[in-house]
Amino acid sequence: MPQSFFGWIEFLLRQYGGLFLTGAATTLLIALVGTAAGFAIGLLVAVVRTIPLRKDAPAVKRALLAAAKGLLTAYVEVFRGTPMIVQAMVVYYGASQYLGLNIPAMGAAFLVVSVNTGAYMAEIVRGGILSVDAGQKEAATAVGMTHWQAMTVVVLPQAIRNILPSVANEFVVNIKDSSVLNVISVTEVFFMSKSAAGTYYRYFEVFFITAVIYFALTFTFTRLLRLLEKKLSGSASYTVYGSQSSHRAEIEVPVDPGKGGRDG
Amino acid sequence: MDDILRVEGLTKRFGGNEVLGGIDLAVQTGEVVCVIGPSGSGKSTFLRCINLLETPTGGRVLFHGQDVTQLPASVLHAKVGMVFQQFNLFNNMTALQNCVAGQVRVLRRSRAQSVEKAMFYLERVGMLPFRDARPAQLSGGQKQRAAIARALCMDPEVLLFDEPTSALDPEMVDEVLSVIRTLKDGGLTMLIVTHEMAFARDAADRVVFMDAGRVVEDAPPQKLFTAPENPRTQAFLARTMRG
Repeated sequence: MPQSFFGWIEFLLRQYGGLFLTGAATTLLIALVGTAAGFAIGLLVAVVRTIPLRKDAPAVKRALLAAAKGLLTAYVEVFRGTPMIVQAMVVYYGASQYLGLNIPAMGAAFLVVSVNTGAYMAEIVRGGILSVDAGQKEAATAVGMTHWQAMTVVVLPQAIRNILPSVANEFVVNIKDSSVLNVISVTEVFFMSKSAAGTYYRYFEVFFITAVIYFALTFTFTRLLRLLEKKLSGSASYTVYGSQSSHRAEIEVPVDPGKGGRDG
Repeated sequence: MDDILRVEGLTKRFGGNEVLGGIDLAVQTGEVVCVIGPSGSGKSTFLRCINLLETPTGGRVLFHGQDVTQLPASVLHAKVGMVFQQFNLFNNMTALQNCVAGQVRVLRRSRAQSVEKAMFYLERVGMLPFRDARPAQLSGGQKQRAAIARALCMDPEVLLFDEPTSALDPEMVDEVLSVIRTLKDGGLTMLIVTHEMAFARDAADRVVFMDAGRVVEDAPPQKLFTAPENPRTQAFLARTMRG
């Protein structure tokens, strides 16, 4: 048996390297799927919750919409107000005990992380929608777009750019918080670490490795997402058309307007 | 005569605050009506009630004799276009895309057809060279001209202008007003809320003076500006024409 700290690290890596790797891959997969699905849920919930309730609409329609909004609010509050570790237990064991459904642990993991993230995303997207000038929605309405069109074509593309940092943050949170899924035996990196540590009772060394893995994952992805963010927000400088202080702003009028434009 | 727009007893209250206290107004096809009046007199709210950006509390708005609340939203908004004080160009699109989006999504026109129409109107407002610019790259006057082109692309029968030049630097006001004048020459029906008295005087067929949520006076510009009947109109004009 190794005697020193580094000796143990080397020994454990050699012994359990594959375990750590598959665990890390599983963690990453859950975080990716959960964040992507959660984002989609968040977008949908926010779009429904921002449907204007018009007083002159038929009573049935108004009641339906109010009910849908109430349900969505309940969803957001319940899933933000309870720990994910408890949600995992309730979903996983509830499904087998009361619905007779033996969902695989991975399935439960995807479900719980997606739905949990969706609740947070719904609020993030709502904030993003509020950050877009109300005149944008009005102008979309004024050319005849429906709420859905105004949202998907005009408002959300602007909102998403504003909320990208928060979305990236949710992804990082998911990489770390998916560790709670070990309680339903999801073989993510924390679960793998526990089994590795138990064999030789080397908890400190194993979880030191685990910490490094988590940090490597989160750090890499925060950098990557920051890059993406920069790319999406475009260049910080631009030329005002018709500006007389820059030659780049000169306007060239096409000779034949019909052929000057872009196709399609 | 065919009243393209007819407003009957229109009221609007926000909570306990009565903003419109019963407005009656008829606009005929091809007519240009300017609405003037002090700030807070309900001019903008009146305009926004016509295309249902605000839901009226009472009264009716008829478009070709049909209650606008009964019309499908896409039909109403295509036929009754709107130009905003703050332009409200879609910030995530170029000028050209701004003009195309509504045609493709609402009118279900083909993209090629929409682009063709967009180019036509962008040229008419002098914005063709800037078609690929985003709103952030345009001056206020350019944005407003692009916004007018966007509204025209929907082939509206009536265009509502909500203080189209109030957010503009003085030197940009004229470029927008001259575009509106060319639309008048083209025979488009327009309802224009404005503080530009000189423009109202020579471009409008009729001028409506509003105060405290009511139409106080409704007359041809020559009469309203030279011999206003109502004392409130007289006081308002005395104040605004002094400068």
